[in-house]
Amino acid sequence: MGVPAFFRWLSRKYPSIIVHCVEEKGKECNGVRIPVDTTKPNPNEVEFDNLYLDMNGIIHPCTHPEDKPAPKNEDEMMVAIFEYIDRLFNIVRPRRVLYMAIDGVAPRAKMNQQRSRRFRASKEGVELVEEKSRVREEVIQKGGYLPPEEIKERFDSNCITPGTEFMDNLAQCLRYYVAERLTNDPGWKNIVVFLSDASVPGEGEHKIMDFIRRQRGQPNHDPNTHHCLCGADADLIMLGLATHEPNFTIIREEFKPNKPRPCGLCGQTGHEIKACQGMPREKQGQHDEFANTMPAAEQEFIFIRLCVLREYLARELTMASLPFPFDFERSVDDWVFMCFFVGNDFLPHLPSLEIREGAIDRLVGIYKDVVHKTGGYLTQNGYVNLERVEMIMQAVGVAEDNIFKKRKDDDENFKRRNKEKRKRMKAQQQGPAYLTTGQFAPHALGRRDRPEAVQNARHQACDMRMQSNMVNDGADSRGVKRKADDSDSEPEPEDNVRLWEEGWKQRYYKNKFDVDATDEDFRRKVVQSYVEGLCWVLRYYYQGCASWKWYFPFHYAPFASDFKDIKDMFSDFEKNTKPFKPLEQLMGVFPAASGNFLPPTWRNLMSSPDSPIIDFYPDDFAIDLNGKKYAWQGVALLPFVDERRLRAALADVYPDLTSEEKRRNSLGSDVLFLGKSHPLFDFIHELYRTESNEGTEIPAELCHGIQGRLNLDDDPILPDNTVRSPVPMLRDVSQNTAIGVKFKDPPYPDGFVFKAVLLPGAKIPSKVLKPEDWVRGNGQPWRPQLGFNPNRQQAHLDQSGFRALGYVHIYIFNIINVKTSKKKKKKVEHSCFPEFPVKVVQTFCIFTFTSVRQIRTADISKKQNWRKIGRWFNWSYTGFVSYCNDRVCFVVCLFFKQCITRSLLQSSFPCFYFEQQTVMPF
Amino acid sequence: MAGESGGEDVVAEYLGQNPQLAQWVETFRSYCESNKQWVARREFILRNMEAFPTVKPGVSSSSLDRLLSLSMVWANHVFLGCSYPQAVMDKIKEMGEGIKVQDPPVHKTTKDEFTARGKRSASAELEDDSCVKRAKAGPNELDSRPALRTAARPASQKLGPPPQAPAEHQPFFNRLYKAVAWKLVSAGGFGPNLDHFEILRSCVESCKQTLTCVFVPLKDITGLPAGRTQKEGHVCEIRCQTVFMGTGYGRDEAAARAMASKEALKVFQGRKVTVKICRRRYKGKDVDDLMLLDEQPRSQGFPPALSYPFQDEQLEDSSS
Repeated sequence: MGVPAFFRWLSRKYPSIIVHCVEEKGKECNGVRIPVDTTKPNPNEVEFDNLYLDMNGIIHPCTHPEDKPAPKNEDEMMVAIFEYIDRLFNIVRPRRVLYMAIDGVAPRAKMNQQRSRRFRASKEGVELVEEKSRVREEVIQKGGYLPPEEIKERFDSNCITPGTEFMDNLAQCLRYYVAERLTNDPGWKNIVVFLSDASVPGEGEHKIMDFIRRQRGQPNHDPNTHHCLCGADADLIMLGLATHEPNFTIIREEFKPNKPRPCGLCGQTGHEIKACQGMPREKQGQHDEFANTMPAAEQEFIFIRLCVLREYLARELTMASLPFPFDFERSVDDWVFMCFFVGNDFLPHLPSLEIREGAIDRLVGIYKDVVHKTGGYLTQNGYVNLERVEMIMQAVGVAEDNIFKKRKDDDENFKRRNKEKRKRMKAQQQGPAYLTTGQFAPHALGRRDRPEAVQNARHQACDMRMQSNMVNDGADSRGVKRKADDSDSEPEPEDNVRLWEEGWKQRYYKNKFDVDATDEDFRRKVVQSYVEGLCWVLRYYYQGCASWKWYFPFHYAPFASDFKDIKDMFSDFEKNTKPFKPLEQLMGVFPAASGNFLPPTWRNLMSSPDSPIIDFYPDDFAIDLNGKKYAWQGVALLPFVDERRLRAALADVYPDLTSEEKRRNSLGSDVLFLGKSHPLFDFIHELYRTESNEGTEIPAELCHGIQGRLNLDDDPILPDNTVRSPVPMLRDVSQNTAIGVKFKDPPYPDGFVFKAVLLPGAKIPSKVLKPEDWVRGNGQPWRPQLGFNPNRQQAHLDQSGFRALGYVHIYIFNIINVKTSKKKKKKVEHSCFPEFPVKVVQTFCIFTFTSVRQIRTADISKKQNWRKIGRWFNWSYTGFVSYCNDRVCFVVCLFFKQCITRSLLQSSFPCFYFEQQTVMPF
Repeated sequence: MAGESGGEDVVAEYLGQNPQLAQWVETFRSYCESNKQWVARREFILRNMEAFPTVKPGVSSSSLDRLLSLSMVWANHVFLGCSYPQAVMDKIKEMGEGIKVQDPPVHKTTKDEFTARGKRSASAELEDDSCVKRAKAGPNELDSRPALRTAARPASQKLGPPPQAPAEHQPFFNRLYKAVAWKLVSAGGFGPNLDHFEILRSCVESCKQTLTCVFVPLKDITGLPAGRTQKEGHVCEIRCQTVFMGTGYGRDEAAARAMASKEALKVFQGRKVTVKICRRRYKGKDVDDLMLLDEQPRSQGFPPALSYPFQDEQLEDSSS
């Protein structure tokens, strides 16, 4: 989902859904890397059955990383991808299935977004190059130093689109990789690998969903399969919830905003290209020994436990005294549906619903209000009840006016606060306006060089006067002052719509759609398309792609209050639509600047003035910020592709395709791989031996109940056939023992509806959240569950271990009220590990750590962790975290509203060992 | 506006006479097109149909698709703000000549956006700014959209200062800005009790330039609002390096000059001064003039010019 804020919102609201991954690192011995044995139990104390990889989330960071130097060539990219998959495999250690899905041709509804992204990427690339060369010139003219320009060609990330040569190579490389691992890695010995490359239509995550849906729709499916899906998109959470599988976990890279990025010119961090001055590089470490280490540590992974999210949702959504029986599963579906209002990849979000403004909470509130009147749920199995949706929309519509007004107020307050803050900061930074110099210059007290007697004071005074005149001469001081004023008011994009003022609706339609408020028909048209869109999206998540052709043909959404009489606006989608062929799709999503990925005559259609589709390819376009701050948040005003004209134009150039291009343009199939010791191996081997060409069903008992149809591969990976390495730096697999065969998901009749319910036999995992009726005085304090295992063993170190780690010093101060006179006085008392006899008002404690490693293991450097821990314990967290020096000291200060004892601290921070008590130095 | 509705009427009448054609043309309307957009594009298609002789009503062909494509290019340019390779732009400019669109939306392309975000160099900024901001600010503005310009502007296209003139004059006025700022500081700030002309003159001269003052008796100015009782007095216009700085009225020439200087100094009260090409009236015609402006958006247009330093070019142009 194109809503980065969604995940942030979710993880703040429901903090316990996140579990940090424990990753066992490979060791090195005499320069030889020893791989991790993934057959061992999972260090995360949970066993996963299936691991699904949404490969595009892996390909992008591996081919053009933001936080490290880019790989030099395609081969290095492939190796980076392999290593990334290895890493994930090591963390998750699936025991049954590894499913790798690369985005294939997407439904038309998604292609518009892809198109917009690719046009933007291409534009930004050009602008970046221009800016670089401009700044480079400036810097060099000013005498700065810049490293010589790399001759390397810029990697056009647009090639990560189905149908390009790059994607074809990638598929080849992954086949090699799978065969290699199945043959050589013991952890892969018993798993089935599915590879759905870019030649199979559908977005990666939706191909995965299709697989899960079609497996769980058949009787042999194990209802307690533990799924783990890898990917950073927020919509994976929705998709996971939509499966109604009880054990579903998502793994993603930890979300780290505002990581420092190196400047594109000089490679140093701390400034952007435009501010580059070409200063000499600062030494890293005393002898520049850390020159090539990245400042940030390797990105770590987190698990998102959907079963915990379901617990939270159950608390939030459960309604008593309904006119119909409450069904939690159905309410989850409604929740998913309502999240689409706030943002999805296929529709622009409603102007009044902004996730940052708590739109989902608002929707849930309205939902719980309205559901009494609707008489039922909004959705069922991915089908929408429009009558009930209208009631929700109308309720949102009523509030719309106030939402916009409040948004404006908040915005203004925010700006004001920021301005004040800047002013404060500036005031702090400014030194005194005037300093005497020479023999009158201020001296530190108590230093050894005592000031000498004043000589020739008048002369000195004269000098000082002259000096200050010189400083003030010219425009200097004035210039500085003006500049400072400038920084206060950043250039603001003009907002013609002014949603907070009377008449906003008219202005919105006039400005965004260029129609008058009286044009009721047009408005209905937009609403109807949006309604269709909501139906399409929900169906897409619950049943698969309903129509490959449908798309939302406007750049903006209507208002919630416009959703009137929508009941009959939608009946059904066109049946039997087909996806685009890969190359056709490339014509639909690429700008002319990426035409090099297409055959010459095709490319020509993107730029020739005589082309019958030239209107699809503007070389520049407007971006409407639409109230947002950055260009990437705005709406790219790109024309839509006319499918009929595209196909007609391509009919003329189809004969120009080479046989290689024809192959790339054809639809491919999922492929299943497995190794020799898998029970299904002999069965597949037999298929090849007997050359049975008609599709064969998988015997369910051989493969954990997984079903599907097998077909022989034209260019198969077979045991004892050498698998050639497509990457020069990797070896061929000469003793291959893996086998590959085409795989097709189990078919279902037309009109089959996948039920969005818990399967019979599914066991709900044990609860994680603190029960709401937990009574504190129950003897034991509530012990939060930190990982997957509720009975996690606390690790203990022996003495030598602690010496190696260094100590954590804790200082605890209890602030008590001591009445000295009439006034209450707070007094800081030190050291109170023994229970304190006096009434404690507040406690604060300071942790100092002596090794950075300790901090990493404790994951203490994250403020949000402290906040989270604080919430578990009902502590008021107002602590701060600060580094003194990377190696020596690290201080955390926590404030508590209650008395803290040693034992309480120890139980809440099991990862620390509180070894010493030191008397505070003051 | 009358001409516009006239164009629409012609199209409507034409289609009324050819119902079959009308029906056929209607099939090209795309779902998301508003009435206004479609009417404009339909006119584009109908006007240019003859140029595509192989297009037969009712038959789809590749040349029809080319026409449709160009009509979309034109519409995307006008309504969405897209731009295309130069060859394509030239073509649609020619084909779209004469089609009038009532207040088309103003869009910034990403290039403007890019510069507007502050990643810019001084000279590029001024030109872009003038295009973007002024378009909304005043009616006296040069239209920033080349394709529409043909429709909106009278034929006097080559009149006035060269387009690079603002950039040429800007450095001088930056210097002048500083000089004025300092001068005003030493004079105790801008106020009514200053000798405005003296301040302005000394500043300009300290920057090694001179002021040009043009005086016109009020009674010689035509086109003033009829109810004006004041018939005496003079109007003064001050320019420096052909760039207009201010106009003022007074009982005598000195008073008019002082008022004009005061107006000119007011411009220097902003954060910066900018030289821009703007449209204003001169002798009853619209001309392009070089103006010194502050950052404030203007609610009204500019006073008409009293002199026009680009006259010679104009005469040459009109005589040739």
